[in-house]
Amino acid sequence: MHRLSQPAHGGSQVTSISQPDDVSRRRFLETVAKTGGQSFLFGSLFVNTALLRLPQAGHDAKSRAETEIGKGVIYGFVVDTTKCIGCGSCVRACRAENDVPDGYNRTWVEQYTFYPDGEVFVNSPSGGEDGFADPLPTRNVPSGAEQAPMRGFFVPKLCNHCIDTPCIQVCPVGASFKTDEGVVLVDHEHCVGCGYCVQACPFGSRFIDPRTHTAGKCTWCHHRVTKGLLPACVVSCPADARIFGNVSDPESTISRILATNRVQVLKSYLGTRPRTRYIGLDSEVI
Amino acid sequence: MRHAGHFVRLLALVAIAMVGFLFVRSQVIPKDFGVKGHYRLSAVAEEAAREPRHLGSEACAECHDDISAEWTAGKHTTPQCENCHGPGLMHVKKVSDDSTAGYSDKILTQYETAINRSTGMHECRWCHLKTFERPSTLKSIASVEKHVVQHKGTFTPETKCIDCHNPHTAAVK
Repeated sequence: MHRLSQPAHGGSQVTSISQPDDVSRRRFLETVAKTGGQSFLFGSLFVNTALLRLPQAGHDAKSRAETEIGKGVIYGFVVDTTKCIGCGSCVRACRAENDVPDGYNRTWVEQYTFYPDGEVFVNSPSGGEDGFADPLPTRNVPSGAEQAPMRGFFVPKLCNHCIDTPCIQVCPVGASFKTDEGVVLVDHEHCVGCGYCVQACPFGSRFIDPRTHTAGKCTWCHHRVTKGLLPACVVSCPADARIFGNVSDPESTISRILATNRVQVLKSYLGTRPRTRYIGLDSEVI
Repeated sequence: MRHAGHFVRLLALVAIAMVGFLFVRSQVIPKDFGVKGHYRLSAVAEEAAREPRHLGSEACAECHDDISAEWTAGKHTTPQCENCHGPGLMHVKKVSDDSTAGYSDKILTQYETAINRSTGMHECRWCHLKTFERPSTLKSIASVEKHVVQHKGTFTPETKCIDCHNPHTAAVK
């Protein structure tokens, strides 16, 4: 190390830089740690930004045919809200099939009720598990008079199995993933139960199982569909409001339904590109 | 070169730390992690290996062929056996092994009522009661509304739908 000569007239104007002799082991290690840490942070930031695959512009504009037809097996789900009678069979079947803990739902049914003054009420008692057999919901308007509802419908909800999933992106341990068939699953061996995915999902499809402390969600009954069976909710629906199938096969029932209906997805403005599509979705449905 | 020893020692520490990190990393990360993406590939097979619990009405017919034939010929074929009776595997396990492991109390009690025929109107109401949102085009719902109004005087709180109706065919007994 180069040694600077000491000024003869004392140390009044001498700065610390010109006094390398004072560099103690402690300060040396501190400086190394600081500069090293900073360069590591900047470096990793650069690498992450460079490697991050951001969604390309014009992604959403691709038609279904371009993205799905003839790509092996890609599962899709259609919910026909015009057929749903709100019996809750799907919710009960799902709970039994997947051992869903009490108070949580992998699928649920929402009841939308519209009142003449423009108010919309959304209700889902126990996720619709015990049906919606109660009398017509009446509501007290400010004047005190009871107001009868104007119109209403049921909307079954489940995981949307988005193509651009927010839930997989945020998982810090790689416990959330998408299979080749487009099904979003959770690795229960790997999940640490941090709950980031629960917060990231804009559809409220995930929960932390209080028994296992891992994330639970609809799997489109992956264990059934890979054996050639239909999901439990689809089998149990008495109104044919739920349709499941291979959207990659143009001859499948779901492909014909998609080809002959006007379908929508939930919260399309978020750009998550859900694979669960809805028939007869009102703009009020959130 | 008076301070060269500092660097040597530091570099040695860094090298040991790196080797240690790489060793721990190789032990902790599963072998099939990252094969297809940022996840453990065998988790897909593990999820797929779960046993289906709803076996389908065809499976029920293997033992209960008489009820199945009655049900198939009747007017109540949209709900499957397991809609009211619960998952088939639960029934099989309960009968053959006397085991109810893996099923919550809620599931066990929910379907016990249908098997024991202790149900009142609750399960029938799931589908048949006329509610505001139910499409009035559905004949079964519209007829029940009319039916309840017509028979209002004769119904008591204890009246069960299955007192008059065969739940498998919906026909009057």
